[in-house]
Amino acid sequence: MTEYVMEAKNVYKSYCIKGEEKEESKLVEAVKDVSLQIRKGDIKLIFGPSGSGKSTFLRCMAMLDIPDKGEIYLGGECLTAKGVDLNRARARIGFVFQHIYLFRHLTALGNVELALRQVLKLPKAEARKRAMDALAEVKITECASKYPSQMSGGQAQRVGIARAIARNPDIILLDEPTSALDPELTGEVIDTLRDLAKEGTTMLIVSHEMPFAKEVAEEMIFYDEGHIVETGPPSLFFNAPNTDRAKQFMTRIINRTTRE
Amino acid sequence: MFEFLLDPRYYPDILQGLSLTIEITLFGVALGLLLGTLLAIGDIYGGKLVRGAIAVYVEFFRGSPLFVQLFIAVYTVPAILNMRIDHYVLAFLVFGLNSAGYQKGYIKGAMQTIFDDQMAAGLSVGMSKLQTLRYVIMPQAYRIVIPSWTNEFCSLTKSTSVLSFVGLLDLVGAGRTIIFGTMEVLPVWFIIGLIYLVWITGFSKLMDIIYEKKKIPGVELAMQS
Repeated sequence: MTEYVMEAKNVYKSYCIKGEEKEESKLVEAVKDVSLQIRKGDIKLIFGPSGSGKSTFLRCMAMLDIPDKGEIYLGGECLTAKGVDLNRARARIGFVFQHIYLFRHLTALGNVELALRQVLKLPKAEARKRAMDALAEVKITECASKYPSQMSGGQAQRVGIARAIARNPDIILLDEPTSALDPELTGEVIDTLRDLAKEGTTMLIVSHEMPFAKEVAEEMIFYDEGHIVETGPPSLFFNAPNTDRAKQFMTRIINRTTRE
Repeated sequence: MFEFLLDPRYYPDILQGLSLTIEITLFGVALGLLLGTLLAIGDIYGGKLVRGAIAVYVEFFRGSPLFVQLFIAVYTVPAILNMRIDHYVLAFLVFGLNSAGYQKGYIKGAMQTIFDDQMAAGLSVGMSKLQTLRYVIMPQAYRIVIPSWTNEFCSLTKSTSVLSFVGLLDLVGAGRTIIFGTMEVLPVWFIIGLIYLVWITGFSKLMDIIYEKKKIPGVELAMQS
């Protein structure tokens, strides 16, 4: 039995961007030999320039994208091995999308309830109760009967988080949960994440919310051009990162934050 | 001119014609929906061979006249299978197969507007691809497709006029019978046209009401974007 909740071992993933002409198509190596271990209760934060492959790596962790090479482990189980029931594995992983991706034809409650009914096969009343509990946890029960398009971005993303935590997953992966929101709406989502952090939820977060990172992350991971450049506690990055690239990036991002 | 309207001898023909038109249309659209959905899913998930076969199927049913398809069915299928098949059953099948050729396009188009993000979301909560299709993709796609069904229904209704070529009494067949009895041509076609118009308008309005009732805020936005 392994000590890690989740582990990535030498993961590679590239994809092809199709251009108009054949010559314009190019191969993007989004994940090149990335390894990462997460223990129970860990909160790790991945950050780095946009287009560097952070999201692709996170999708590989959830097996929403299948890695070209390398292994992903959930508990002791190797998800990249042949014949693994990926649906059952994904049911134990919560995923929060940058662009939220709620089920548009279902209410907030319906969004949270669906997997409880269809995946966990809970009876109707119990599924409803657990879904309401999850909505209460992100403090959004007032939106239970609203459809995604009737909510603000911040509310919708909190429903997205409720949908991810309702099954009591072993880990929650969050892909830039605030970056598609208007600046004044990021606060409520950050508050929700802060609450989850206090409860000891295991999380791997792609984010550039630096004050939040400083507060909750045990480890920050600087990711650029498809691999992990530097890892360390927030204090390392906020004071003196070892690599020049991390230094430059931190300077840019801190200047931006203070200007706002 | 319109005295035949008061002649009860013609009522059974008109009623029978109208009900055949309605039955074949509704059954045809329903069978087309079922097959069209399977074709759309096959076109999205299938390999080269499956997609090629679907393309040939669609081109055949969209590219040749419905009445040719009906003739082929009526004069070859029973011979090949060496059994008697009611023309009514064959007509229903031809209308369904034909409609599937069109509906595959509508359904696939609707699925594609929502497919990538909604499939990822469905998989992320632990549902299988099939469950996500069943509970997430298709409920949204079908709502988007309702206006196209209304068109499909109008077009199939009028296409039933080809049924009289193979000896089935649809509305046009009823019209012919009445003309034969009364020697009135224009007034009869006028009335037959009016019956089509009233039925199609009424049913289209019903579909509009269903569309409005089933409309989910945000789902049709997806279609426009």
